[in-house]
Amino acid sequence: MKIEFAPLEGKSPQFYLFMLVLFGVAGAGLFATYLMYTQGLHITGMSNRVPWGISIVMLIYYIGLSAGSLVLSAMSALFGRKEFKPFARIAALLAMLLLVGALLSMILDWGKPDRVFVPFMYFNFVSMFSINGILYSTYIVICFVYLLAMFAGKEKLVGVIALIAVIWAIGVHSGTGAIFGFVSRELYESPLLPPSFITAALSSGTALMIILLQLLFRYTERPFDQRYVKELSRLLAVFILVVAYFLFVENAFRAYNIGHREAAWFFLFGGSHSMVFWVGLIGMGIVVPALILFTPGTKNSIKMINVAAILHVIGVLCERYIIVIPGQLHPTDILPNMNVESVALDGAIVSYSISFLEVVQALGVAAIVAIVFMLGLRVFAMLPTEALMEDEAS
Amino acid sequence: MKKQLDRREFVKIGGLVTAGTAVGVGLPLLPLYRASATGEVADRSGKRWGMVINVGKCKDGCTACVDACRKENNVPLHGDPKIDIHWIRKAKISRRVENASEISAPLLCNHCDDPPCALVCPVQATYKRKDGIVIVDKHRCIGCRYCLIACPYNMRMFNFKSNHEWHNETYPTRAHGVSESCQFCAHRLDQGMQPACVEACKKEGGGAMVFGDLNDSSSKVAKVVASRSVRALREDLGTNPKVFYIGL
Repeated sequence: MKIEFAPLEGKSPQFYLFMLVLFGVAGAGLFATYLMYTQGLHITGMSNRVPWGISIVMLIYYIGLSAGSLVLSAMSALFGRKEFKPFARIAALLAMLLLVGALLSMILDWGKPDRVFVPFMYFNFVSMFSINGILYSTYIVICFVYLLAMFAGKEKLVGVIALIAVIWAIGVHSGTGAIFGFVSRELYESPLLPPSFITAALSSGTALMIILLQLLFRYTERPFDQRYVKELSRLLAVFILVVAYFLFVENAFRAYNIGHREAAWFFLFGGSHSMVFWVGLIGMGIVVPALILFTPGTKNSIKMINVAAILHVIGVLCERYIIVIPGQLHPTDILPNMNVESVALDGAIVSYSISFLEVVQALGVAAIVAIVFMLGLRVFAMLPTEALMEDEAS
Repeated sequence: MKKQLDRREFVKIGGLVTAGTAVGVGLPLLPLYRASATGEVADRSGKRWGMVINVGKCKDGCTACVDACRKENNVPLHGDPKIDIHWIRKAKISRRVENASEISAPLLCNHCDDPPCALVCPVQATYKRKDGIVIVDKHRCIGCRYCLIACPYNMRMFNFKSNHEWHNETYPTRAHGVSESCQFCAHRLDQGMQPACVEACKKEGGGAMVFGDLNDSSSKVAKVVASRSVRALREDLGTNPKVFYIGL
């Protein structure tokens, strides 16, 4: 089967309206960043006790989402699933752009984003941020070369680069988990975080692809075989179970280990973040999607699969919030078994409320990613004219 | 054939010329490198600054050390506990039992021998000087706030807001967007003085702080650390703090 690729037509009023909205949101996001840059980060919800806010949540969320794209893209080249070849190009493009979104979230979050070249001049090879900076930017280059090879039609080269990209992705995702897992804070420190980060990355990324592929083909009015959705949903179902398993082990360890018990209790039942955990992650992100994807009555319904995918994409955003925020709200134990009280809020449980500006900034970065993605589809032949599975019988 | 040989020769000569230039330019620079490594800072590199705080002598309600630090280093106070910056602060400490008596002690950067803040800093803006002081290059800091996350003592602070209260005109104020913490008044040590908090505690407070060179076994601070039962904060983390407490 020969796959034809064609750029988006992109001449409909809807397309222009959509782009206009995206440019508006991106502009608002950049303006929010400008305000933070000129006035200081005190206009956000962050503080000395909660120095990392939504930008860091979004950073690791983007990194995670890119995993699904890469897996989908490498399916045909590496795992011999030729029926997924039509999506290899858009998936690689998205994997690359999500990484750009992650880097953008990271840099715009700095107190001094104008010092963007400083990390290139002074590396610290033991800093997880330095290591990840290198991993992310090289990953972007790998994805770019991968795309070029696909456009050049060099099948063998595509296979080799796909392999490199998958190996590199393991580094990218592990490194992102290690930003938190390798720091000695009661709710961060965990060697399990890198692998559990990879699994949530795979699950959320797959869920995103399920939704995005359907949207793209529907709005371009190109034929799309619904069986792709079912195939991907089988993958998603397995990934979700692995995510749940990792979550269980991590929390069971904290609850069992006497030294971590108090922090575990705070994490699970200690405030509004616990709602994000139970309702957002466990309920919406895991239980409901798993029920949908494993119940015989619903697992073949495209509508229900879409519900599961959307819920899981939101659920993993909650998971990323849960990784970043509660570990900061809970105080570090300066003097174990002692109450410590000071003007610097030592020993106190603090709160963090998401500020409007941080949300606008995060949406702005998302809009920038979407703009470049849409322009990519518009200018280059990324999207196949049709995506139909060949019937095995015929 | 002849052409190939020519090319090889050309490469040879070119390589020799390049190497020669490198050595020629490099050799005179060598003493400079040695100077920066050993010469210039030799008078300080042998030192390892440290502090002992006798909690029993620290007066409840006294803030002499805190006030002196603010004045000396222009440490910003914005009137919002979430973003106020403290290089040193008084803490009320009590055991988690009923009717525990409360003691008062200053908390400040521990100047760890293995500082987690410097470990995670992506641009090496936070580093440990040869004399053991952990310090931030505010002109290099990108403001990623990883050091605030990594410090297990909550001693790292970030400039969420610019500060222009200029108590001490010989010391700079700072712009927003960079992190900082106590630096043992490095600028005063360089002039042969003691840190502002130690001086103030001796003059106006209870004289609870002793500061000096831990490498010099005849210094008071080294003697106290060697002879009395001192402890540092969270020694189990392996950070090796250089601020010790008696009676905590």
